[in-house]
Amino acid sequence: MENYKSLLLANKAWVKEKLSLQEDYFENLSKGQQPQFLWVGCSDSRVPAEEVTGTTPGEIFVHRNIANLVVHTDLNVQSVLFYAIEVLKVKDVIVCGHYGCGGVRAAMTQQHFGIMDQWLRNIKDVYHMHRGEIDAAGDEEGRVNKLVELSVLEQLHNIMKTRVLQKAWKMEQRPTLHGWVFGLQDGLLRDLYRFDPSSSIAEEFRYDDESLKKPL
Amino acid sequence: MTSTQDRRADITADLASATIVFLVALPLSLGVASVSNAPLTAGLVSSIISGLIVSWLSGARMTVSGPTVGLAALVMAATQTLGSFDSVLTAIVLAGVFQMLFGMFRLGYLGSFVPHSVIRGTLAAVGLIMILKQFPHALGWDANFLGDESFGSDSLISGENTFTEIYHAIMDYNPLAVAISAVCMVVFFVWHNRIAPRQGFWGKIPAALAAVVAGTFFHELFGWAAPELDTKFAVGHFIKMPDVSSIPLKSLATSPNWPALADPATWRIAFFISLFGSVETLLTVESAERYDPKQIPANANRELMAQGVGNILCGLIGGLPIAAGILRTTANIYGGARSRLSNFLHGVLLLVATVAVSSAMNHIPIAALSALIIIVASQLVRPQFWKIEYREGTEQFLPFIVTVLAIAFTDLLTGVSIGLMVGLAIVIRMNHHSAITVVNDGRYILVRFAKDVTFAHKSSLKKTLRAIPQGSDVTIDGIGAQFIDYDIIDTLRDFRDGAAARRITVSLKNLRSRRMSLRGVRDGKLQEPFVGE
Repeated sequence: MENYKSLLLANKAWVKEKLSLQEDYFENLSKGQQPQFLWVGCSDSRVPAEEVTGTTPGEIFVHRNIANLVVHTDLNVQSVLFYAIEVLKVKDVIVCGHYGCGGVRAAMTQQHFGIMDQWLRNIKDVYHMHRGEIDAAGDEEGRVNKLVELSVLEQLHNIMKTRVLQKAWKMEQRPTLHGWVFGLQDGLLRDLYRFDPSSSIAEEFRYDDESLKKPL
Repeated sequence: MTSTQDRRADITADLASATIVFLVALPLSLGVASVSNAPLTAGLVSSIISGLIVSWLSGARMTVSGPTVGLAALVMAATQTLGSFDSVLTAIVLAGVFQMLFGMFRLGYLGSFVPHSVIRGTLAAVGLIMILKQFPHALGWDANFLGDESFGSDSLISGENTFTEIYHAIMDYNPLAVAISAVCMVVFFVWHNRIAPRQGFWGKIPAALAAVVAGTFFHELFGWAAPELDTKFAVGHFIKMPDVSSIPLKSLATSPNWPALADPATWRIAFFISLFGSVETLLTVESAERYDPKQIPANANRELMAQGVGNILCGLIGGLPIAAGILRTTANIYGGARSRLSNFLHGVLLLVATVAVSSAMNHIPIAALSALIIIVASQLVRPQFWKIEYREGTEQFLPFIVTVLAIAFTDLLTGVSIGLMVGLAIVIRMNHHSAITVVNDGRYILVRFAKDVTFAHKSSLKKTLRAIPQGSDVTIDGIGAQFIDYDIIDTLRDFRDGAAARRITVSLKNLRSRRMSLRGVRDGKLQEPFVGE
């Protein structure tokens, strides 16, 4: 069988199984979503957000890109942040990297990767900022994994620099930001960083109270 | 309140519940002894041992043990098989040893496999039977023995069953007995609801005691006021305590006949006694744990060992075999017991009643005690229980109602077994329906295991595979199954081997569960086709 057909067939089986458990499953699903979580993860096929967190349709709002980056000029991820925080009013935002990330590994080399170079530049910036710490992390595997962790931390800072986040923190004391790293070797998520709404934001990136009161 | 006052309140509560358990256990002990064809003292001795000793060893603080009717039927049959009651005693000691072994080997956990619906069915059935069986006594018709709890058992004795008894009792009721029952019930409920909650002297007297005393005094008063009518109505309607003072001590305590150990029948009977006693005990423990006001978890294995000790002692000094009893335990919880002390005190009361005041006990009318048993048994069949069961849906209600009916028309062990089978059948059926998903898209067919597949799914899988048309492209995906039974693998292998002839392409996916690879190690031939899928 052609491979794509097996996906369609598996989908039919999934529908049948869901309906056998709950007749009105899709009626309920079609009524709307109220996810509590936003997941910003890597596009890597080995880190499926729903499966590793045991969540089911409707529970988690997902954005995945190469190396789970939050870039301030990326309309895509910025729209996701806006919709999840301002409209869906999620309680937690999770940025989840994974050890051995191909994007991070590529950014640490001196090769070029076509149009991806622009994207990977964001990782190179983090690499540059923490060069000493990363070089001290041992062999190539250790250095890649160190940058994976530091990059996750940097993406959390990038979220904190947005007005949508600062407004939600000030007005509604949510969401909490989490930085996790998934281990492909053992399947476990490491809970590494956390910022709650009382965390401080560097003055240069802080919007004043007047600005935060204005509509986004 | 200081802790001393707390302690005193606890002891008062335990004494009150001990009284109601005592008043329920007394007629049961005598009735069970009479149906066992054993000396009447044998029933009392067992109840006393249960109260004085088993109470402290028991693994569940609320359960109360004693001789039960199910075991009595075994004893009656065993006496015929083995020829004498003292040979049966040997079997009882042996049964105790078996039960201690059951406990040591932790077979008590089997009790937790009994579905809740079957346990609640058992409780309802016991309550229902008790009410139906006691009803004739409350009306003054005493043809069957007190405490009988099986549908046809008394037909051996009186040629009656439960419903013909009720019919006779209604047609032939005894006005005096009806009056005594009515007095007892009214006094009980007034006392329980109005007087017992009060502080002070009267509030401390248990409602059960007040009811039985009122029934007895009512009868005595009646006998004094209208002696002719009393003689006409009341002949034989009293409990008859064995007069221990007139029996020589030596014959009171019968010893087991040890040479009976050489007879294989003794071992067989011992096994049945230990099995039946353990099942009844585990059912009681499971339900007692659930209705324990403090929800303190029970230790079923310790309970089995305690029963073992109890049966060894009962056998050694001439008592009937014991088990944790549903009605006694209900009386204990309903009576407001706070600790094991309640169980112990019921033993003390039985001992005092047997040894010191047995002639006074003979003034208690049977109707009074029957009224009390009906009140306790009705706790097990409260209408809201039935409603709750009904609302839980068919898969809960069916095993419940089947258990109730099966026990009502057979006996406890048979009834519970039938209830279990129905429960199991429902589980298999429900599981059966959704384990295998089959979908198709033109000639592409996906057979997917949504959950564990066992031999129970073999026939439907075979049917599914046989129906696959020639030229199909089939994927078999074991994604949802952690366990795949050997029967299923066998079926899949047959299908794969025959597929080429039917021009069917087969691909296998996600069939390497933990259980499967274990199989593979043991059977190299099997492992090969499934590895690397």
